[in-house]
Amino acid sequence: MPARNAKQWEKVPGKLSSGEYVDSRIYSDRDIFEEEITKIFSKVWTPVCHESELPDPYSFRTMTVAREPVLVVRGADNQIRAFLNVCPHRGNMLENRPSGSFEEASPSGAPKHITCMFHAWQFDMKGNCAHISRATEGYQDRLECKDVGLRRLRCEVKYGGFVWVTLNDGIGQTVEEWAGGAFDCMQKSLDAEPLEVFHYHKAIIPCNYKLWHDTNSEFYHDYLHYHNRVTGFNDSYFARKNIGFDNGHVNVGSFEVQYDEYEGFESREELSFPHLPTNHWEMIDFFPGVNFNLRGSALRCDIMTPLGPDKVMIEFRGLGLKRDTPEERLTRQRHHNSIWGPFGRNLHEDLLAVTTQQATMSEWADKRRILHGRHERDADGDPTIHDEEGMRHFYEAWGQWMDRWPGDPELSYEEGQKRKAA
Amino acid sequence: MSDNNIAERVRGTIYQASLCLDEARWEDWLGLCHDEFYYAIRAFSPEINVDMTYLDGKRADMVTLTEMLPKHNSDNSPLARHTVVYTVDVDEAQQTASAVSSFTVMKTELDGINSHLLAGESNVFLVGKYRDQFRIESGEPLFSERIVQLDTRRLDKGSHWPI
Repeated sequence: MPARNAKQWEKVPGKLSSGEYVDSRIYSDRDIFEEEITKIFSKVWTPVCHESELPDPYSFRTMTVAREPVLVVRGADNQIRAFLNVCPHRGNMLENRPSGSFEEASPSGAPKHITCMFHAWQFDMKGNCAHISRATEGYQDRLECKDVGLRRLRCEVKYGGFVWVTLNDGIGQTVEEWAGGAFDCMQKSLDAEPLEVFHYHKAIIPCNYKLWHDTNSEFYHDYLHYHNRVTGFNDSYFARKNIGFDNGHVNVGSFEVQYDEYEGFESREELSFPHLPTNHWEMIDFFPGVNFNLRGSALRCDIMTPLGPDKVMIEFRGLGLKRDTPEERLTRQRHHNSIWGPFGRNLHEDLLAVTTQQATMSEWADKRRILHGRHERDADGDPTIHDEEGMRHFYEAWGQWMDRWPGDPELSYEEGQKRKAA
Repeated sequence: MSDNNIAERVRGTIYQASLCLDEARWEDWLGLCHDEFYYAIRAFSPEINVDMTYLDGKRADMVTLTEMLPKHNSDNSPLARHTVVYTVDVDEAQQTASAVSSFTVMKTELDGINSHLLAGESNVFLVGKYRDQFRIESGEPLFSERIVQLDTRRLDKGSHWPI
């Protein structure tokens, strides 16, 4: 087939059908992005940090969920709670630091309190207002502490100690129900004993969040990674399956990675995660923008915070066992970072690829079809890891949440289904 | 050789290493390093309150890492550093020295995103300090350790290259 002219270029290539591609506007359209924040990100459960980041009573972490500033604290009762990080008085951000402790007094407030530095209103670890400066003088009996508690958020600690938050008070599911079984593949490993975060860094890249999720969801792109080609690409690699779960989550099946095939790398056997077979690699692509990657000796978690249609912040965490000795921890870090660290062999390649991918899908670019139509089967007729069922499963859920058809976002989901059936 | 002369040679070696790294002359850079050389990129995270090691290895590991670069897909945008040596402390009896330098690494875009629009644009990529240890052999300083202590923790695409 020679290169195509404009008319040919606009046609669906080959015999691919609706549902085997998406329209590139879902990666670049500002209105669609705004809808995603409202219809998806502000409605679902999101892991925001790990319990080891809140080691003691009065520890806190701050973050952003669907553009809302969020504060997570560990109370004197050891319970972890989440609130909007917003003072109910004048809307100031209550805490600006990324982490810390409220145990000591702040310049404007008392120990063991969350204090707004602006006018010194104070709150306890349960979000109750504890003090309004010159309350009676200013408000007489018109406003009291009981009227101005913090906005509490639903919060759970689940799956290896991750702290999950939702802005949606009316969410009808627990985290476990929302996961719909997607964690079954690694829950035993995650919950065997306490975990601890040893690695954190972030990337803010010119890329739609879904392109990063796509990349985590499809392994056809292992041609990008020299490391994965030499340590994988054997029968057991291809025999892995993408398995879809309710709510758009996907598991990528495990196989034994041949780490020593990459020069300078070593087996992860010595520090295998509990219950994980030696050098195996389990993965969960969690809807809409989270990834859990349990690989030999280290757990990686990516949490995406979409910042615009072509901008996303990805927070990368690496976790090991809390009981690690310093030597074990250093080895675990080395295993994690040699592949997934900011100077590792694979992460840089993935980040490079998705930014150059987004570079062709700017807001002013013509719409085009982005394919995920591989139905690759092995000799027995079973799907291989290069079958793109994972992405198709994600976009089914995305279409339903958005009531848009991913292949033509001007159609409703129902209209798209009808067109697909036709 | 006096302490002052050794200190001057240490400074010269640090600047020579900066040029080698700027120009991706890995073999020349490692030629300035002792056989027992240890390299690490580290940062402290105020998010998780942990000292992190992003990359580390001995000289042989860095040789392997740099020799494998052509097999990997990388952002080839040049990284140029501005290095200033702040302190050099010489222990003449032990024939060792240590030095602290400040660095700023600028990335000049080449092929990392859309070269037509962005190639040629320079931005700050990393800020931090080099904490170096040297062994003095026949009057010549050789790096025995380099700890790259990063202040920058928003690392975006990151890099395949030693810093």
